[in-house]
Order: sequence, then structure tokens, then C-alpha cells
Amino acid sequence: MKIVVTVKVVPDLNAPKSIDPATKRLVRTGIESQLNPYDEYALEAALQLKERLGGDTTVTLLSMIPESSKETLRKALAMGADDATVLSDGALAGADVAVTARALAAALKKIGFDLVICGGLSDDGSTGGVPGALAEHLGVPGLTNARHIEIESTGLKAQRETDTGYQVVTCPLPALVSVTMAVGEPRYASLKGIMGAKRKSVSTLSAADVGVDAKPKTELLRFAPPPVRVKARIVEAADGPSGAQAIFDFLRERKLV
Amino acid sequence: MQHVIEVVEHRGGQTRKVTFELATQARELAEKLGGTAHAVVLGNGAAQLAESLKTYPLDVVHVSEDPDVDRFLIDPTIDYVESIARATGPSVILLPNTMYGRDVASRLVARLDAGMAADVTGFEIEGGRVACIAPKLGGATITTCAFVDTDYGVVTARPNAFAAQSGGNGARVEQAAKPQSKQYVMHVESEVEEASGELGLEEAPVVVSGGRGLGGPQPFTTLLKPLADALGGAVGASRAAADAGWVPYSLQIGQTGKTVSPNLYIAVGISGAIQHKVGMRSAGTIVAVNKDASAPIAEFSDLVVVGDAFSIIPELTKLIEAAKGYIK
Ligand SMILES: Cc1cc2nc3c(=O)[nH]c(=O)nc-3n(C[C@H](O)[C@H](O)[C@H](O)COP(=O)(O)OP(=O)(O)OC[C@H]3O[C@@H](n4cnc5c(N)ncnc54)[C@H](O)[C@@H]3O)c2cc1C
Ligand SMILES: Nc1ncnc2c1ncn2[C@@H]1O[C@H](COP(=O)(O)O)[C@@H](O)[C@H]1O
Repeated sequence: MKIVVTVKVVPDLNAPKSIDPATKRLVRTGIESQLNPYDEYALEAALQLKERLGGDTTVTLLSMIPESSKETLRKALAMGADDATVLSDGALAGADVAVTARALAAALKKIGFDLVICGGLSDDGSTGGVPGALAEHLGVPGLTNARHIEIESTGLKAQRETDTGYQVVTCPLPALVSVTMAVGEPRYASLKGIMGAKRKSVSTLSAADVGVDAKPKTELLRFAPPPVRVKARIVEAADGPSGAQAIFDFLRERKLV
Repeated sequence: MQHVIEVVEHRGGQTRKVTFELATQARELAEKLGGTAHAVVLGNGAAQLAESLKTYPLDVVHVSEDPDVDRFLIDPTIDYVESIARATGPSVILLPNTMYGRDVASRLVARLDAGMAADVTGFEIEGGRVACIAPKLGGATITTCAFVDTDYGVVTARPNAFAAQSGGNGARVEQAAKPQSKQYVMHVESEVEEASGELGLEEAPVVVSGGRGLGGPQPFTTLLKPLADALGGAVGASRAAADAGWVPYSLQIGQTGKTVSPNLYIAVGISGAIQHKVGMRSAGTIVAVNKDASAPIAEFSDLVVVGDAFSIIPELTKLIEAAKGYIK
């Protein structure tokens, strides 16, 4: 079975971020990049399946990122992915959900898959829109927010998180799932994994290779810093009741109670 | 883009405030665009819910109680919305920024060749185009994005960001025609309830959140739940609390959990790590209860009460309950 995990490379959350006023894109120079945290969970789910299924199950990474971010994928290869395909093209810079989903779908059709596993949300884009749109473009079942995945003879069975618990959902393969972090903590790369990752194949596709229309459907007009919060009022509570009173008075002041 | 279509999230006819916020917003936007305002309500309980939507200023409420909507995951819903959107014409499609809303929106992006704007907190019409205001990069920047080269703009709007205002002449309720029947393959086999989720965390007007400082699972039910109930809110948690197994992951707020923007966020025994901050920093008012005055959460709170949560929270619950009694 061929499992493909979509992973994005994103800027470090802790780094101060800015948008270039000329290109209206995130300034990436001087900022450490990392695997999108959610996608490490997607990879963990894939590696768990590979362990359970054994045989000729493989895990391929697919990432649409600038050429310069390629090395960040080594970490995912060190965790246990078998190989990686990078879709990298100047024409795809500034891609929105519509373009990203189209491009990833085109690449997936080219490299083939039985199961695609996505993260739930990217740290920088944060639309959570890619997995669903991708499933539509691929024309396969798209099961989002899975916290547990099993492969059965008839296809896939997943526990899908809801607001109040979960649903059990089944569907045939090929399929796409997105996971929540309840699939399990991403594993650490072993020393052997780190050494082995250096030899794993990372191939590159261009927009022309997969034949994708890169016309975004959204345009950033402008951006502004968030409103600043005035400095917090700090109250040392002598005891429970006085602490509670301080909060209560504050909520009253703000007309919240 | 001229019309506005709200897709309603509900369970068996039970819905949340955000539905009415979006119905109100649908009218406002439609007026500015010179189009009509619609709502789509699907699945078990839809007819009853459509009745309560009639008191909001919509033109048409499209309804279907088709059992396929609940029997199969998402696909029947998308077929209905797609066909209503195509029959209505170029439109903005409004959804709540919840798991459900993002799911439906993402499908529509592909089906309608649409643009998508997530976690939207405001709208502007510029040169006839619809532009959406949304925080990005974990709230570090506020962006304004316009839709281009498309007839459809799909928007997941942040709960609590828009006012709900009933009124209007009473919408026309219309039976939505079943889209051409397809073979649906994602079967919902069963539903399992784990947490009592009367109020969705993402939409709650008040969130009382607990962290490692609470030391175990009990305080979430004995300390935080009564306070949340008194304030009409929901209980949330930090990842440390979810990782420890004290609460289900569905309560986790932050980078790898939910994003919330209630009017009031009370952080109890939470240090305020950046990964937590990005999930709640845009709350209207932030109150922290922490033993440590120098915890990072103090940097982005409005009020920090330095003290022991175990003695403060029960007293606060009492004060709030008493005040409510007094007002009545
Ligand atoms: C990739 C990644 C993703 C992450 N995603 C998330 C996420 O989505 N959400 C999230 O929350 N975290 C996330 N984290 C974890 C985050 O970095 C922090 O570790 C976590 O938020 C800490 O939780 P906490 O504040 O409950 O615990 P701590 O940091 O241990 O803080 C506990 C606080 O409780 C206070 N305290 C102790 N006793 C009391 C008492 N009796 N009364 C009052 N106060 C008391 C202490 O002073 C302290 O400030 C993520 C981390 C990584 C690496
Ligand atoms: N450029 C990309 N390359 C690979 N996968 C992506 C990319 N963008 C988004 N994804 C996948 O889609 C998920 C949701 O991202 P988003 O819709 O951007 O919030 C991520 O967790 C990834 O698995």
C-alpha cells in the first residue's frame, strides 16, 4: 500500500514575523523553518499504519515548498518516511487554498497513492481548507479529523473527532484522511534514522511537470498589526475571597457580569 | 458576487448563537451587494430549525431533512449546497469557523472553483469586490483579502465576531430539491458521546480554561465547570492538561488545538506558552489566575490575579451565581 503524507514547511512559530510590503508575502529570510507541527502527527499516523500493515507499505512525503526549504524534510525522512516529492515552482509562490489543493492533487495523480494523510491545519495558512479541497479534486472519499485509522479488507475505518466525542466512519480506498493530534505523539528520529535519511530520495516536480493552473482566487490587499492590549492589571490575592472579588469587580467594570 | 448563502451547522435541529450572527451578517452583506440572503439547513431537525430562522432577516431558507445527510459524511451536504449555490448565482457562502464549517468550506473551494477566507472577523466591499478581514500568523497580523477571478467566495467566520439581530419580514422556507442521486461511500456507522458538549468550545461566549496548575482531572469538573456554567460558557484546556489525559483533546486550545475568541477567557493555572497564546489571544477580555506573577500569560492578559486557583475559583463562582440572582 502506498501512503502519501502531505507536509508543509512553515516558519518557526516563535520567530518574529513580517510581511514584505512589496510582494505581500511572508518574509522568510532569517527565520528558521520547521515541519508544520500538525503534519508530524499525520506522518506519525502513517508510520503507525506502516508498522501494523508491514509488507510492501511505503510512506512518501509530498510537499509544496520553495526549493530552499527542502532540507527541512530530512527530519520527516529521519522519523521514518521512505522518500519525498517536492513540488517547487516560482509560479506557485503565494498560492492560496485553491491553488495549493489543485497543485497537490495534480502531483498526487502523478505519483500515485492508496491513502493520503494530511494534517488538520497549517501554521501559516491556517485555513484547514487544503484536505477537503484536495479530496474533491482527487475524486476520492475525504475523511477529516480522524483520531484513529484502521485498514480493513473492505477499506478504511476511522474514528472521527466531533465536538462531543467521535463518529465511526468507513469508506473504500483509495481515500484521503486528515488527522487530529490524538493519533499519537510524533516519534523522535533515531540516530539510525537520521543517518539513513541522508540517503533517501527527494525528487522535485515543477508546476509544468504536473500541469497546474496557478491562478489564486484570493488576493491580499493589506495587513496591519493586531490591536495592542493595554498592560495587564496585576492583583496579588491575599486569600481566595479577595482574589475572587478582584475578578468579579473587574468583570463588572467591563460589563461582563 | 451578489448573493449571500449561510450554511447552518446544527445537530438534530439544535444550533448555536453563531447561526444567528451569520444570518444577520448575510442580510447586511446582501444589502451592500444588492443581492438576496439565504440560509441552508440540512438533515434531521432542519425543518424545526428553519422555523426559528424565519425571525431573522433572510429572504429564503432552503430546507431538506434528507436522511442521507446524516447517514453519510459530508458528501450529500456538499451536493445540496453546490446545487443551491449554482441556482442562486455568484455568492458569498458563509459558514462558522468550526470543524464543520472548515470541512464544508474546503469542499466548496474545489466544487465551485471558489476562493476561501478562514477565521474572518469583518467584511469590506471595495470596488464591488468582497474583502475579508482575518487575523493570520497566530494573530500576529491582521489581513484584508479580496476574492478574485471567481464567482464564489467561501468564508468561515469567527463566532462571536458579529452581532446577532433578529427582525425582518419572515423568510420564505423552501424545500431544497435532492441533487441527482449519487453513490455515497463514507458511511457514518455510529456516534459516540464522550464529553457533555451542550456548547461548542469554539462558539462559546465565555471560556474557562485549565492547565497543568490544576494538578489533575477533578478540578476541571469540580472547579471550572461550575464557573463556566455560572457564566454561560464552556470549559477549555491547555495541551499539558490534555496530554496528561485529564480532559479529551477536543478541549485543547492552541496551535494544535482549537482557536477560540470568546468575549471572556479565564485562564486558570496556565502559563501562557506561545502555542497556547495563538489559540486564544484574540479573546475580548483575558483574565489569568496564576500563582506566578511572572508567568508569560501576564504579558497578554487584561487582569492577572496572583494566587491559588483552588481557593479563588469557588469563591468567584459563588459571587457570580449570587449576582445573577440579584439581577433577576
Ligand atoms: C508543536 C507543539 C504544539 C503545541 N500545541 C499546544 C497547544 O495547542 N495548546 C497548548 O496549550 N499548548 C501547546 N503546546 C505546549 C506548550 O508549549 C506548553 O507546554 C503548554 O501550553 C503548557 O501548559 P500549561 O500552561 O497548562 O502548563 P505549565 O506551563 O506547566 O503551566 C502551569 C501554570 O500553572 C500555574 N499554577 C500551578 N499551580 C497553581 C495553582 N494552584 N493556582 C494557580 N496557578 C497555578 C503555574 O504557575 C504555571 O504558570 C505545544 C507544544 C509544541 C511543541
Ligand atoms: N504547501 C503544502 N504542501 C504540502 N501539504 C500542504 C501544503 N499546504 C497545506 N498542506 C496540507 O494541508 C493541511 C492543512 O493546511 P491548511 O489548509 O493550509 O491549513 C496541512 O496540515 C498539510 O497536511
